[in-house]
Amino acid sequence: MFRSLRTDANPTASVTVNGHSVEVPMGQTVWSALALSGQTTTRKAALSGNDRSAYCAMGVCFECLVEIDGQSNQQACLRQVTDGMCIATQTITEQTKADL
Amino acid sequence: MGYDCVIAGAGPAGMSAAVTLNEYGVASLVLDRGVRAGGQIFRSAAQSPLPDARVLGPDYTSGADLIAAYEKSGSQHISGADVWHIGPDSKVLFSKDGETCQAEAREVLLCPGAMERPMPIPGWTLPGVMTAGAAQVMLKSDAMVAEGAVFAGSGPLLYLIVAQYLRLGVKVRALVDTTPRDNYMQAAPMIIGALSAPSMLQKGLLLLNEIRRAGVPVYRNINQLEVIGETRAEGLRIQTPKGAVDLETDTVFLHHGVMPNANMTRALGLEHIWNEEQLTWHVKCNRFGQTSMSHVSVAGDGAGITGADGAQCEGRLAALNILKRLGCLSLQERDRLAAPDLKTLRKLAKFRGFIDRLYRPLKSLRVPQVENTLVCRCEERSLADLRDGFETGAKDPNALKGLTRCGMGPCQGRQCGPMVSQLLSDWRQEPIEDVGYYRLRSPQRLLSLEEFSRFEVISPNQEATQ
Repeated sequence: MFRSLRTDANPTASVTVNGHSVEVPMGQTVWSALALSGQTTTRKAALSGNDRSAYCAMGVCFECLVEIDGQSNQQACLRQVTDGMCIATQTITEQTKADL
Repeated sequence: MGYDCVIAGAGPAGMSAAVTLNEYGVASLVLDRGVRAGGQIFRSAAQSPLPDARVLGPDYTSGADLIAAYEKSGSQHISGADVWHIGPDSKVLFSKDGETCQAEAREVLLCPGAMERPMPIPGWTLPGVMTAGAAQVMLKSDAMVAEGAVFAGSGPLLYLIVAQYLRLGVKVRALVDTTPRDNYMQAAPMIIGALSAPSMLQKGLLLLNEIRRAGVPVYRNINQLEVIGETRAEGLRIQTPKGAVDLETDTVFLHHGVMPNANMTRALGLEHIWNEEQLTWHVKCNRFGQTSMSHVSVAGDGAGITGADGAQCEGRLAALNILKRLGCLSLQERDRLAAPDLKTLRKLAKFRGFIDRLYRPLKSLRVPQVENTLVCRCEERSLADLRDGFETGAKDPNALKGLTRCGMGPCQGRQCGPMVSQLLSDWRQEPIEDVGYYRLRSPQRLLSLEEFSRFEVISPNQEATQ
């Protein structure tokens, strides 16, 4: 289980993770906001739909693709939280049809 | 109007190069994906979220000095700049805050750094399985730790993060060391060379001692590992001489060495060569990092693994050569100024040779051994799928990609690429150099059409023009 060692009273950002409200320190990555809230599934695998989660945390594995404020395919490990950000597990698979 | 030099990546190599260029009056444009300069190794070294960053060790905290020198140097630094195209015409395209920016340069210096070698054991795609580097990144940038994790693999980075966790009072469930016993014998004759860098050798021994004293269960000489769990990691199963042992945990950190992050250098079409000692592809370059495209140089771990100290030497050397090419230094001046760093690199190379031999990863952990283990995480292609593709007639990486979709997902082969080359080399019974690697193309990141439509040109005298 992940936990934070921060002791500084930094301002926090209010974000929602799959609809649940979470307070996280400003400047944290979206991935660590997910990890802190215990919602570690970032996306569904493209074919099988199996759960996937962050693997490298530095932008080279593309496993942590999530939806941020309605935009899909965002790398959670490279983005920082902002107040009011809406984060959701990415559920796009090969079967998903685009809204046209 | 273009820049004299554009540097991609502000880790130790890029920062050192920028500082040197500025000493001779060349202000470079530095594009970096991070929030602040530092790269992976010095990530957040200038503003750690930890109550006391000294637990990470003096090698890390010293990064703050380099970052300070760099930030004072007068380079134009753009953070959050994700470079996704560099053309042979020296046009550099990058994304920043949802916009596409273009910069032109006479000289381009690439410092893409390293990434971890994939470790495709069964279950390596389950949530809860991450790399040791990921543990480092989370600790440095967000002060995040995983309680009761199992660390498995081999190499200095693995022992470093375990020691850092212990210093912070974080419980470590176990360390599973996959360093083969034979490696110690084969590395032994090289210890004389490693003694040229005695402080580095000592640091390594101290780390191992620290772990031993803390009483963390250590399993050595392990070569069969499997992550257990249906939908997420529930533990790591290892085969010991006394039979299978299940180490229960919800977090497994894997590591067996690093390799150059070569997507950018590959997509640009630079020549690469196989390095058998490091078991990685390196960019073909001279001692100043100048590549097969004369106006493109490369420095740091992105060229070949040398570590943070070596990267700083290489950054300065690349800068000296660029200064010579821009007419700011004569050949004689360049060579005189280069001598100390070239000497340091020769010393470091001996130490690196020892480390490379000692922690040379097992072949059976570099490529999957079980038919249904995924090679391509993005497109979910297993060892069996690739073997079918090969038997159907796809004998090289690009053909195999075309036939099976392996390497066509969002990571663009960053994870599966090294495995695919090795597997094809084994199946063809030909050297890996003859097999080659995927042919890569821009963009090197996911890009929306909307982002692409917002286009700006960046030039030295004005911030941005439409």
